[in-house]
Amino acid sequence: MINGVLSMGPKRFLVLVPLSLLVVSCGEKAKVGELPATAPAKPVGATVEITVPLGLPPVPIPADNPPTADTIALGRRLYYDTQLSADNTVACANCHSPAMAFTDGRPVSVGVGGKTGTRNAPTVLNAAYNSLQFWDGRAKSLEDQAGGPIQNPVEMNQSHDVMVAKIGKLADYQAAFDKAFGQGPITVDKVEKAIASFERTVLSGNSPFDKYQYGGDKKAMSAAAIRGLAVFKDKAKGNCATCHTIEEKYALFSDGKFHNIGEGLDAKGELKDQGRYGETKAEEDRGAFRTPTLRNIAKTAPYMHDGSVKTLKDVVDFYVGGGTSNPHLDKEIKELKLSKTERQDLVAFLEALTGDMPANSGPLGQ
Amino acid sequence: MANLSGWNGMRWLCGLALTACVFVAGCGQASAPTAATSSVAKPEEKPVYFKVDAATAGTVTGRIVYTGAAPVRKTVDMDEDPQCAKLHKNGKVYDDTIAVGKKGAVANAFVYIKKGLEGKKFEPPKEPVVMDQHGCWFEPRVLGMQAGQELKAVNSDPVTHNIHPKAKVNREWNQNQPEGAEAAVRKFSLPEVMIRVKCNIHAWMKAWVGVVDNPYFAVTGADGSFEMKNVPPGVYTIEAWQEELGTQEQEVTLAASGKAAAVFTFKGK
Repeated sequence: MINGVLSMGPKRFLVLVPLSLLVVSCGEKAKVGELPATAPAKPVGATVEITVPLGLPPVPIPADNPPTADTIALGRRLYYDTQLSADNTVACANCHSPAMAFTDGRPVSVGVGGKTGTRNAPTVLNAAYNSLQFWDGRAKSLEDQAGGPIQNPVEMNQSHDVMVAKIGKLADYQAAFDKAFGQGPITVDKVEKAIASFERTVLSGNSPFDKYQYGGDKKAMSAAAIRGLAVFKDKAKGNCATCHTIEEKYALFSDGKFHNIGEGLDAKGELKDQGRYGETKAEEDRGAFRTPTLRNIAKTAPYMHDGSVKTLKDVVDFYVGGGTSNPHLDKEIKELKLSKTERQDLVAFLEALTGDMPANSGPLGQ
Repeated sequence: MANLSGWNGMRWLCGLALTACVFVAGCGQASAPTAATSSVAKPEEKPVYFKVDAATAGTVTGRIVYTGAAPVRKTVDMDEDPQCAKLHKNGKVYDDTIAVGKKGAVANAFVYIKKGLEGKKFEPPKEPVVMDQHGCWFEPRVLGMQAGQELKAVNSDPVTHNIHPKAKVNREWNQNQPEGAEAAVRKFSLPEVMIRVKCNIHAWMKAWVGVVDNPYFAVTGADGSFEMKNVPPGVYTIEAWQEELGTQEQEVTLAASGKAAAVFTFKGK
């Protein structure tokens, strides 16, 4: 999910009126086939409650897409289906693989035909809590996000229409869609909703940190990790928790905001990727990227939005050094004075954020 | 956002501006967005550079000498980053803040023509000077360069460095470089003697960059000597700088095709 096309989701029906006006008034050839054929899909089954592991808050659920057993199962199947891509080689799971904590272990991902993007694949684990999706926040929900990579030329490179037609030819898919959303044609809306519902179950908590912090088990973390947690929270030391937040009852390790941390600059110190600015055109967003979660960070190398940082030690050293200077550097980023032990303790703490992998999140039948 | 074609693109545009969508797409007057008004590029004035007449140019040589007992060399503790310590076989690295060799020779002194070239503008070399971060150490420790020339900062280490020239006249900057990062290529546009360089991650790493607006500068080698070639005849003030010993100035007169020498003596304790 690197450079996916922005999908407007719920807003799409606003355009029905002006587009039809257009067709009538100027006599252009109407591409009727591209118009949405149905009203927004709504799951028909009983809503299931998503149980949340220790350390996580309740999963936010959009009103128009309550998770059901059928939408989750359908989403899971779609997530692992390479037929969503132009040449039937790339599934969501290629870049967000359960074998690698729902990332791909690469600096930047590889799409159809070996094409590469420019950003590192973020983990799907706990993505349900992100208020905005993608490194630049260009999607407002998991539903909005899901359609992006399907069309992105360097990812799955398949138009939504072709994708819908392709999977519609498979009889058992039609039955699964009917079961999940009621009878009707397969639509992108349904595909996005099903994948999003599956992703809302891809949660990971109950890490040594969670057991220590929220489970009352003071032996769950090593002494080094406990010291590292103190450095992590201390504004005069690591100052990490300012953005990678820890709350009283849960921790997402992200403030959900966008920051320029001085990463991903070229030889001359210019930003290679404008990040959030591409969406907002606000000067303060130049080179700013969404604060990623740190849960399972030990399993999601390489790091940063461009995947240029290989190890957790390098991550800590990055922050000790204060990143690369640039005019839009976040005010919280500055050189840190940390001893050898404090640096090592921070790494030990980050390693204590590895949680349980979610059940029923692998390919169907496995 | 890679592709805004077809229905999706339309959908997106319309979500933003319904009326504009109707107008543009409906009546076939779609046009490319007006190009941002680009400022008319001024024809760049080419500076007139001074050409040295090889027929009359001479050479300035000299030495930096330390009198008194040579300071005891200290070892550097790299324990703060065990990966750095591991890069040195015996684990021992000597501090070269001041290195005094045979006959009091002082290495790593920076020598340059401070006065006497006023009004002459010298073209900066096209080739960059290179500062390597190698063995968690800056190589070289003292580097001379011309204003406007490129400084190429390389990281040859398997660790992250963050080179930080603490420039006061020029713009201060720092650059994070993990293992395998591309070299940082920066310029200092104004003369500044000296710029202290540190690594934000490894406290023991120190270097100095002398930026001058002429090509007559040198860093002394292990024998404490320096040489500046192709110098036009004239009367010059030469400054020698050493990070522990401070600075000294001397005036030299260089005749046409001549040789001039300057020995700078720093008294030890």
